[in-house]
Amino acid sequence: MNKWEILWHHRGMILDGFESTLILFGVSAIAAFLLSSLIVLVIRTGRGPFGRAVRGIVDGMRMLPFLIYAYLLYYGLPSLGVRFDAWTAGFIALITYHAAYFAEILRGTWATLSTGQVEAARAHGFTTFMMYRRIILPQLVLRAAPVLGNQVIICLKDTAFLSIITVRELTAAASAVQSQYFIPFEAFIVAIGLYWLTSMLIEVLVARIGIAAEEKGLGYKRAAVRR
Amino acid sequence: MATSAPPFAVEVRNVSKRFAGIEVLRDVSLQVAHGQTVSVLGPSGSGKSTLLRCINWLEEPDSGEIFIAGVRIGVRAGGKTHMPDRDLARMRARIGMVFQGFNLWPHLSVIDNVTEAPIHVLGMAREEAIARAEQLLEKVGIGDKRDAYPYVLSGGQKQRVGIARALAMNPEVILFDEPTSALDPELVGEVLAAMRALAEEGMTMVVVTHEMAFAREVSDEIVFIDQGSVVERQAPDAFFDRPQTARARQFLSRYA
Amino acid sequence: MDQAALYTLLLGAWTTAWISAVAIAGGVPLGLALALLREARVPAVGQLIVLYVSLGRATPLVTLVLFIFVGAPLLGIPLERYTAAIVTLLLNTAAFNAEVWRAAIRSFPQEQVDAARAAGMTRALIFRRIMLPQIWITSLPGLVNEMTLLVKASPAVAVIGIVDLTRATNRISAVTYEPLPPILVAAALYLVVIGTLVRLQRLLDARAQRLAM
Repeated sequence: MNKWEILWHHRGMILDGFESTLILFGVSAIAAFLLSSLIVLVIRTGRGPFGRAVRGIVDGMRMLPFLIYAYLLYYGLPSLGVRFDAWTAGFIALITYHAAYFAEILRGTWATLSTGQVEAARAHGFTTFMMYRRIILPQLVLRAAPVLGNQVIICLKDTAFLSIITVRELTAAASAVQSQYFIPFEAFIVAIGLYWLTSMLIEVLVARIGIAAEEKGLGYKRAAVRR
Repeated sequence: MATSAPPFAVEVRNVSKRFAGIEVLRDVSLQVAHGQTVSVLGPSGSGKSTLLRCINWLEEPDSGEIFIAGVRIGVRAGGKTHMPDRDLARMRARIGMVFQGFNLWPHLSVIDNVTEAPIHVLGMAREEAIARAEQLLEKVGIGDKRDAYPYVLSGGQKQRVGIARALAMNPEVILFDEPTSALDPELVGEVLAAMRALAEEGMTMVVVTHEMAFAREVSDEIVFIDQGSVVERQAPDAFFDRPQTARARQFLSRYA
Repeated sequence: MDQAALYTLLLGAWTTAWISAVAIAGGVPLGLALALLREARVPAVGQLIVLYVSLGRATPLVTLVLFIFVGAPLLGIPLERYTAAIVTLLLNTAAFNAEVWRAAIRSFPQEQVDAARAAGMTRALIFRRIMLPQIWITSLPGLVNEMTLLVKASPAVAVIGIVDLTRATNRISAVTYEPLPPILVAAALYLVVIGTLVRLQRLLDARAQRLAM
């Protein structure tokens, strides 16, 4: 049996790992985005200590390596009596960490929107939350699509770090297969190919959103010109 | 290389060019003798700037030939192959150009802008280049701005630096691409004065401009281009007082 | 936390620092070379570089470092850990830097190039004296951003056994059975280093914006 055949024979392990990666990444990216939408609202509208605290935490997260944060949740918290299994720690790490990054992107994008429309919304009786959900947020997503897309790809790549805290995702699976059956090239090439494919799909999706944005004159290119 | 004294500083023969399917230059021919000042006039979009940029091969004509002091530019002697970058650069070093947008190099001070090409293209010694640059900056009237950076200068000052920069290379001919079109009216005069002085000293100049009075006073010949073709070519007084074609008359009625 | 633990942490921090520094120092010029090669429009080369950049930006560092460390010896290239780690970080950061340089080169004002060509400068001279001094400044914020990303991703090298700052915490807790203190100290150290880089990046961003006016 040549090496590719061996790999094919044990493709189940790789595919299981890929499935885990997709679940981790997919759920976390969506949850992180939802969480970040709330965080941005708090940062923009919250005055006083709470808003500042949230701002501080977001800044702090962006200066921390993902793995050390995952370590903190998985290895560190048990000392304080909080015990997560690897998967849970992985989810919490991915969601909260990337929520901070999404929040910063959305916050920066919000600053580029024209301010008059907020006044118009209030004059028409929108509550803050309604206005945010129906008017501001859609524009933020349309305009920041490429940068958000980049961050989503980073979220995908960060799932690989979780192999170090014993989560059985794609990289862990590839590593296990290659060490058991002595097929390093084949196993890792397939793993890298799967990561690549997934990130290509994300970029296609982002491009679609970008086109929709340009059609409405809400893309980032127009924004740069207006400034 | 020409073996006898070349008759023209610049010779353009049957040059045509298209941009995105539109014919910008149609079979244009032109000769500029040494020491002459030729003004190229015409309505916007007539191809004047493109013609100028073909002379130093910043734009490449689709057909035709261009000779600088008898030497063909852009194409190797003998015909079909493109001139390599180094030979092209060497030819361009003998042609000066002054741009509508000044195009100074923002990371260099005024004096550095003027000495940059002499030092790095001509291999001039630094002290010699600086001395020459200071002389030229005085000549165009901004000697005191020697160490300033472009962003603090007015448009007229920037353009005069541009002229000094072109002069510093001791060119055989200087091309002026609408040198005053981007300037506020009060600043136009100082640039035209500098250009007039150059013409009087016998510099060979090809000037694309909308400044009719200047063209009339300073040029030896007017070339009128409309829709990519040379429509009239005359001495200035003859052109302005007795235009021979309807298009020239139409153009002059709008501008003069 | 006692002396020995602190020493282990500082040693780990030093490992992270020097590996990152070497990768950054190599990755900036390598990225520029790739961007230039791509703009030079040699047919096959350009597409290869596009492929490399695309793969480089999509591959997790953990996967890549395992691949290179395990795979290289099979190609007959003996690679010990530190070399494998540096090569991986280099390849990864160069792919991102190539895009940063490319954006700066693409957005460089053609008028200045025209003026330089008109003055008789060759392409090489124009790049060296006119383009590079300026795109260096416009690229800096993006390059520093990539540096912070590199430091944040550097713990990936722990997976091939290098005792960097993150893995040092494993070492310590294996002895003390108290993982939290070393992790907190390591986090603080990362915060300080990365925080400095981020501050630097903000400064450069502000400066680049002023120059663009």
